[in-house]
Amino acid sequence: MSLPINHIIGLLSDNLKLRKSVLPLSKNSITGWAKGLNIPKNGNTVLYTGHMYQLMPSIAFLGKIIGMLENSALNKTLGLGRFFNKIINVSMFITWPSRKMRNLYDKRLRNIAEMLTRSGVEYGYLYGKEMYTGALIYDMGVDDVFIKHAHRVYQLLKDNGVTSVITVDPHTTEMLRDIYPKFIKDYKLEVKSYLEVLNEVDIKLNNIPDKDVVMHDSCIYARGLDVLNQPVKILEKAGVNILDLNDSKKLTQCCGGPIESLFPAKSVEIAKKRVDQLNKNGCKEIVSMCPICLFNLQHAAENTEIQVKDISEYF
Amino acid sequence: MSKLNPDFILEFSTDEEFNPNACINCGTCSGLCPIGLDALPRKLSRYIVLGLEDKILEEKESYFQCLLCKLCVENCPTQVNISSNVRTARNYINRKIYKI
Amino acid sequence: MKKDLKQKIGVYICECGGNISDYVDVEKVAKAVENEPGVYLVQTTMFTCSDSAQIEIIEGIKENNLDSMVVASCSPKLHLLTFRDVAKRAGLNQYNYVHANIREQCSWAHSDRTEEATDKAVRLVRAAIAKVRLSESLETIEIEAKNVAAIVGAGVSGLRSAIDLADQGTQVYLIERDHFVGGRTAQWGKLFPTNEDGKELVERLYKQIKERENITVFTGADIQSLDGSVGDFKLGVKISPRHITGACDEETSDQLYKVCPQETDDEFNFGLTKRKAIYKNYKNAYPENPVVDMDLCDKCGECLKVTNSNINLEQEAENITLNVGAILLNTGFDPYEPKDGEFGYKTIDNVITLPQFRRLLDMSNGSLEYNGKSIRDIAYIYCVGSRQPDGENKHCSRYCCTSAIQSALNVKSKYSDVRNFHINRGIRTYGKQETCYVDSTKQGDVYLQFFEKSFPTLEKIGDKTIITLNDALTDNETMEVSADLVVLVTGMVPRKEDTVAGILKVPIGSDKFYNEIHTKLRPVETVIDGIFIAGACQSPKNIRATMASTLSATAKANSLISTGKIELEPIIATIDTNLCEWCGKCDELCSYNAFEKVEIDGKMVAQVNKAICKGCGACAPICEVNAINIIGSSDEEVEVMIDAFVKDVQFIEDHKAKEAEKTVGKTDDTEKLKKALPEIGKKILQSLESEAKSVPEIAADIQHPADDVLYYLMSLRKYGFVKETGEINDDEYYLYELKQ
Repeated sequence: MSLPINHIIGLLSDNLKLRKSVLPLSKNSITGWAKGLNIPKNGNTVLYTGHMYQLMPSIAFLGKIIGMLENSALNKTLGLGRFFNKIINVSMFITWPSRKMRNLYDKRLRNIAEMLTRSGVEYGYLYGKEMYTGALIYDMGVDDVFIKHAHRVYQLLKDNGVTSVITVDPHTTEMLRDIYPKFIKDYKLEVKSYLEVLNEVDIKLNNIPDKDVVMHDSCIYARGLDVLNQPVKILEKAGVNILDLNDSKKLTQCCGGPIESLFPAKSVEIAKKRVDQLNKNGCKEIVSMCPICLFNLQHAAENTEIQVKDISEYF
Repeated sequence: MSKLNPDFILEFSTDEEFNPNACINCGTCSGLCPIGLDALPRKLSRYIVLGLEDKILEEKESYFQCLLCKLCVENCPTQVNISSNVRTARNYINRKIYKI
Repeated sequence: MKKDLKQKIGVYICECGGNISDYVDVEKVAKAVENEPGVYLVQTTMFTCSDSAQIEIIEGIKENNLDSMVVASCSPKLHLLTFRDVAKRAGLNQYNYVHANIREQCSWAHSDRTEEATDKAVRLVRAAIAKVRLSESLETIEIEAKNVAAIVGAGVSGLRSAIDLADQGTQVYLIERDHFVGGRTAQWGKLFPTNEDGKELVERLYKQIKERENITVFTGADIQSLDGSVGDFKLGVKISPRHITGACDEETSDQLYKVCPQETDDEFNFGLTKRKAIYKNYKNAYPENPVVDMDLCDKCGECLKVTNSNINLEQEAENITLNVGAILLNTGFDPYEPKDGEFGYKTIDNVITLPQFRRLLDMSNGSLEYNGKSIRDIAYIYCVGSRQPDGENKHCSRYCCTSAIQSALNVKSKYSDVRNFHINRGIRTYGKQETCYVDSTKQGDVYLQFFEKSFPTLEKIGDKTIITLNDALTDNETMEVSADLVVLVTGMVPRKEDTVAGILKVPIGSDKFYNEIHTKLRPVETVIDGIFIAGACQSPKNIRATMASTLSATAKANSLISTGKIELEPIIATIDTNLCEWCGKCDELCSYNAFEKVEIDGKMVAQVNKAICKGCGACAPICEVNAINIIGSSDEEVEVMIDAFVKDVQFIEDHKAKEAEKTVGKTDDTEKLKKALPEIGKKILQSLESEAKSVPEIAADIQHPADDVLYYLMSLRKYGFVKETGEINDDEYYLYELKQ
């Protein structure tokens, strides 16, 4: 039995409409990573996390639960869930992933922020005001909800005098750079991925890997945003040996992440196929640059000797 | 037996990017698709072009299975915006069927 | 008949750089023929065709005052003309030279049996010597050519051809069967890619025709007969009258159409409309005056009452004879007429052909209607009458995909709510025409594809025609298209009512189109000298291809007749009028119609038209009284050749001794040999002086094709000028160096 797609999409889009995020989490779990970094609360340039790293453990966790439902009679209850969700935040009742896992994801954000600071880049952070960009809802094709939300996000940036953002993941970058302008009149915002920013300054890596690595390019970075050589250069400048792979760069293959919430079983299947591909020349360390890729590939590489790392873990 | 309805495409989308008509049925997308969609990507385009609403609804899961990874778009010889077209199809299904 | 036999024959035997001499012992051949009657001089050469050898031969002939020559080398196809030229330059008549082929017929054919190859070569050379002894001096036949051309068919092809020929000084008769010029193009409406109207093209060409005094246009003209031959054809033409003898302005014409009571289907609009017995194809058709269709007219006299009509219903047809040097056929095509019931044609009322649709579209104004019903959904079914798996039309008609798609573009731009469905068997909008296909997909046209194993079926339900097909582009799923109008995209077929081909004896191909001599190399000439073909009468063509072929035919015709003279080979049949009793057998047999029956001294005998005879020789054996001889192959000549050929061959020298000598090498006199090398051989040696080179490197260095270089390099190797270095360069070619 397949999942009731309509209820899942309904639930996620209701959340975005009512609570400004697909999975509304507490402010603390969104901004917790920045504690003690003393990032200014404003500025023309801000680091815009788009909540992707913070949400990932929870979305992944939700995926697991949905995956369990996929073949059970319980999946009918999702319809009921959507009904109640409109009144109370059902997400709050979901048991959240372990503190340890959340810390891991927060650490990656910290690494990025610290590296930017170390390299002399000046930026602020909107803390609790920052919003999810609505990428998932856009992909699902719920245009009216998405468009309203996009305007909300852009208004927030304008109200805070932001003219330029540094993003940390491909989805947020794509939304702010390519998708929002299609729906918002007179849209003006400079959007750069932290990889593009760091590629232009001198940086020093603290945790240089001791073995050869293979690069898993993000589909959106590689094919849509032309973020291709920056991560390679960042690692190569530090002397890391990156092994060649046919299915990479513009021909990179998907990690399976985008259908995590609707077709969990298929998503895992694709992730495993991708790990096999990346492991073709026997390389044991895979470098990713997107929290969704990271989670899916790690999940697929569980119980193997292959390690999947976010590029920020070398910072 | 399917009846053609070319007006369907007009109610389907007015987006400039929406171009399933450009498809020449070469099959590159279907060969590349990492997910191995139940219905081939080119067929999904074809149903929209021919206005076969029943078929689109029959295959609605395939439209949602797409990863939007754009590997097909990168390799399409006639620059069909396959991913964007799929997203448009999702929007249609959401509106017409799921009432979202 | 006793002839003066040639007394001083020079015989030149070629080694062809080893191609001959490796298998045929040319020295032996030379020895064996040197005592043949009439032979004065025998020489062997490394490359007879080389410039230096040619000069040597010419000098030898002049020095020794030779009267004829034999060359034994490769096929005459390659070098007959070369040595005819040598003979001429040496002051001989070019027909006092006979060729023997000892390469293709001896060394190459019998490379495994060298002795027999040599034996055969001796016999061939002896036969050639025997033949040349009897040879006579001949002059090429020069016939007078009228610088006048008849162009049959005044479509765009004929109109264009007439203008160009006239501009080059040729008097042109333009002969059109219809009463108006323009042919199919005038019917075609807006044309790809400029959307210019076919009628505008016709008008533009016709105006240019009128400006030229050396063009005469005949309309309503039918070819009746043809006599004569190239340069001097006599074309019988019947001119049907217009029955309007003076100017007839538009107002008067309109009145005439009004009063005329007789009505019939209008052929110009493919029966979509009616016309009167007095009519024009279309308003601005040329020539300007209307015409009276006497097959329809019942002479009621109503038209005669119209003032200034200048009508004469009693005007008679006229027969004329045109004396022309060349004839150009531009008779065009017919659109394929589907059989009754073929895709619902004539059985379902809203099924029409593409030409009909183009007329409908051209004439429609404000709304698109057929049979009084407005049209929104149009289905085009492609390849009707073309690429038939079972029917007789196997060809692709080449124009129809583009024409149908362009119609779909035009109909949509004129009526934006129209929807087009293209039910095709693979779209062939080749070349620049691909853009119309792209435009059509952009405007939202739907393409469906079927294969010949399952043709679409049609059924009329209410006002709509439902077309059912298995769409190859959607996994052969069964689809239903509901259409207000079905357009059968019909192809081109040869003219149904073609009287011209029969009268002119133009060869017809298996596809029923006019046949050219060679599809690729001689596409506009026919086997009949002076008759050319161009445009769609030869094969399906669009206007662009038609223009290319018609201009090519125009150029060929011009080069043939413009000097007023045509040179022909003198090797033709001759009649001994003393023997001939005219039985007519030769005339029956001749494929070219070269024989005429004439009276000489009160006796009927056959006469050969020198301009027509090709010297093929088919007639000679059929003549019971042996009155026919082919010049150069008379009975006497053939007999002496046979005698010479069967004569015993005895080699005087010991074969083994000769072999031994051969391995030692007969190149003691290297310098002399070097001098005899052809130009390219010298260049190769020069190129190798600096360093060892591979074949491609030599070719690049001396600017000759690599296959030529390889050929001559191998000869140089045989004669010991060069050798391989044993090394292979980066591209894996052997390197060659000079042998010291």
